[in-house]
Amino acid sequence: MQEGYRILEHPADVGIEVHGKSLREVFEYAALGLMSIIVDPTGIDPVEQRFLAITGTDLENLLVKWLSEILYLYDGQEFVLSDVTIERISPRRIEAFVTGDIIDPGRHQFRTDVKAVTYHQLKVEEREDGCMARVFLDI
Amino acid sequence: MLTKLDDYRFIVPKSFRDGMNVEGLIYADDELIKAIEHDQTVMQVANVATLPGLVGRSLAMPDAHQGYGFAIGGVAAADLNKGVVSAGGVGFDINCGVRLLATGYTLEEVKPKLDALLNQMFRDIPCGTGKKGLLGGLDARSLDEVLELGAHWAVRNGYGTEHDLEHIEETGKIPNANAGHVSRRAKERGHDQLGTLGSGNHFAEVQYVAELFDGEASRTFGLRPGQIVVLLHTGSRGLGHQVCTDYLEVMQAAMKKYNITIVDRQLACVPIRSPEGENYLAAMAAAANFAFANRQLITHRVREAFARVMGKQDVRIVYDVCHNIAKFEEHTVEGEQKRVLVHRKGATRAFPSHRPEIPKDYYEVGQPVLIPGSMGTCSYVLVGTERAMAETFGSSCHGAGRSKSRTAARKDITADRLILELEQKGIHVRGASKSGLTEENPRAYKDVSRVVDVVHRAGIARKVAKLVPIGVIKG
Repeated sequence: MQEGYRILEHPADVGIEVHGKSLREVFEYAALGLMSIIVDPTGIDPVEQRFLAITGTDLENLLVKWLSEILYLYDGQEFVLSDVTIERISPRRIEAFVTGDIIDPGRHQFRTDVKAVTYHQLKVEEREDGCMARVFLDI
Repeated sequence: MLTKLDDYRFIVPKSFRDGMNVEGLIYADDELIKAIEHDQTVMQVANVATLPGLVGRSLAMPDAHQGYGFAIGGVAAADLNKGVVSAGGVGFDINCGVRLLATGYTLEEVKPKLDALLNQMFRDIPCGTGKKGLLGGLDARSLDEVLELGAHWAVRNGYGTEHDLEHIEETGKIPNANAGHVSRRAKERGHDQLGTLGSGNHFAEVQYVAELFDGEASRTFGLRPGQIVVLLHTGSRGLGHQVCTDYLEVMQAAMKKYNITIVDRQLACVPIRSPEGENYLAAMAAAANFAFANRQLITHRVREAFARVMGKQDVRIVYDVCHNIAKFEEHTVEGEQKRVLVHRKGATRAFPSHRPEIPKDYYEVGQPVLIPGSMGTCSYVLVGTERAMAETFGSSCHGAGRSKSRTAARKDITADRLILELEQKGIHVRGASKSGLTEENPRAYKDVSRVVDVVHRAGIARKVAKLVPIGVIKG
């Protein structure tokens, strides 16, 4: 399976399916996939960096909380990200640096508002040949 | 397997899946049931039926389609002592709803000025992604007031009248809202979004009354043939979405304590009478109040646009209904009057005449039920019925219901072609984004007239008026 993210169909909304070599890659791609649904990522400059530490009860919960954090950064703090570097990841905790910029409607091309990250058909799998995740978003 | 009860009712028997405590009941005709069976809707109706303490049946309206946890178009009522409240059963867009405004103008009067009117509305009502609200960023105290007072806050601050409040579900203020149970994050997401339409399926449409089906009800609601009306569809924006996100986590963490197991994580729930349940309901009410205030501010801008373009505003609220909400209501359950918590996830309250909850001037006919159609088709006004009280906890459908994914919808037609097609039908469009327009093209939805006919024939609401759009503003 090709590494990276692809957008999935749902009768009302959209999903992201992610493949990567490691959990770290899967969580990084998922964040970038979410951002690409909200805003055109090509216009975002790496101006500012923030550190995030998220805890969850299991991998799936961690993915929802991780992406909900990215969504909150956008909708609550007006921060759009261009890059993600995960420093540490375990099934219950993630520590990462996100790089990006404060929203500027003049420079950033918005696409769709995302309301929330859901548990619908949520999946995170660690396999010998790589990792995958699938998550649906409420639009 | 579903059991067909009659032409418009299908039972989901308890044997459909393990753990169902009650039956499911889906309202549909032979055509709509095919679409409903095509995705996960029936399974979601059955999943909801596994929740503890439900009374009656797990219901789905004819516009139902697959959602998250609950189907969109789902209704479920819970016993106050044995039952649960589910944040997913209300949904992310808390009090996403519809408001109908009636004007004193006719189609002939507005037509020559339609473009000017739409331009004014499109300029004045922030819509689409990343747009700031009408009041800029609210300070913490004002936001808390909005959360606890809803549309009353807007009216107190000069955006509307007492008459407006009488014509909103719950008068635009759900009691027991507590801003203290809304997280800082939710407030940060919402503080500058008051008075914004948002994107997705949200819209403002200028329409005219094309057909009347019920003389008495239409007269009572003040609807006349050829009259210009405005239909608004929006909700609680980022604030409500974050409240749901926050409480899904709270509920998931608390379920163990209450020995609740669920079949789908999105159905996370807690006892109604638990600290977590009460806190959620107080936060949900606050988010719902934000949505009422949001629609009130947008109404203010619609009035200003009419005043500027048409000379005077002459715009009154017919009604405003919630689509995503949980409400404490009195219903007859197995012959007994009982207070229950009704979850409506993509469904409209449809109370009949003589209910204390509905506006005084509508008391003899019943509550207006507002059903928006897909963009460029038509919308309906219905009225609640006794049969809805008896069968659906006084609930009815909420729209056409999607039949295609957004990706599939984008492949249907280009934005330019769609705009041209709509213009040819006499519908002028202003949209914040081209992809937003194509995703909402009418081919992506079921036929709203069919959905409304099923509701009407099944008797869970009665047709009053058909509204046809001439102008669409899309987020």
